Amino acid sequence: MPPKPKKYICIFCKNGTKHIDYKDPKLLAGFITYYRSIQSRFHTGNCLKHQKMIASAIKKARQMALMPSVRYESK
Amino acid sequence: MKNYEIMAIVQNSLDKKAAEKFCQDAILERIKKAKGKITFEDFWGERGFAYKINKMKWGSYFVARFEIDPAALLTIKTELNIENDLVRFLITSVDKNTTPSRKYADMKSEYEAQEKAMMDEKDAVKNPKKENVKPEKLTTVVKKDKVDIEKTKESPKESSKDELDKKLDDIISESSQEL
Repeated sequence: MPPKPKKYICIFCKNGTKHIDYKDPKLLAGFITYYRSIQSRFHTGNCLKHQKMIASAIKKARQMALMPSVRYESK
Repeated sequence: MKNYEIMAIVQNSLDKKAAEKFCQDAILERIKKAKGKITFEDFWGERGFAYKINKMKWGSYFVARFEIDPAALLTIKTELNIENDLVRFLITSVDKNTTPSRKYADMKSEYEAQEKAMMDEKDAVKNPKKENVKPEKLTTVVKKDKVDIEKTKESPKESSKDELDKKLDDIISESSQEL
């Protein structure tokens, strides 16, 4: 028998968060890739409910220039 | 009546005080005129953008929460779009119970405290307690040196005393012999 794969648990479900704020980009920075695109649920281990909240929060933060959408910006 | 939150970016050609004044004149007074209630306001100050907006690298941010009729909000939106000094603004609907309002200064201080705690833990792992022991050893060594120096200083005196004693003895003995 091969060993069982690691079971990911949603961090936000543990803490019981109901809403994710778009105004703290330091929290959201943990859920983007090296090239500043939104990381998938497969890698972050979030549940679908909280992943959707994070995606919408990141998109709002990008609108207000709190977070980048691309790593290398053209001059 | 519904709860809303507005975030606005003001041009960097205005000063800090001028930007704060502009926010209150342009945004908050318009809400008050439309029979709205302002529950929370926070001026972030100057902050760098993540990317350039109209060749600008930084601007000043402003956040406020208010209650207003959704119909009256449409007129405010159209008026804000005409303002020249406003770079961008974002209005979102908010639940009071789920999202408590936090001030930007408090958020910053929280993150700084977390970073400090992390750095202290790293330092403790890298060099545990060795630094605390070293200075004690140094003091003991210094004390020993001092004692050695004192001894070396005292030793010639003692020798001189001995010599004197010997000389005296010699003289006494000679004198006794003569007598």
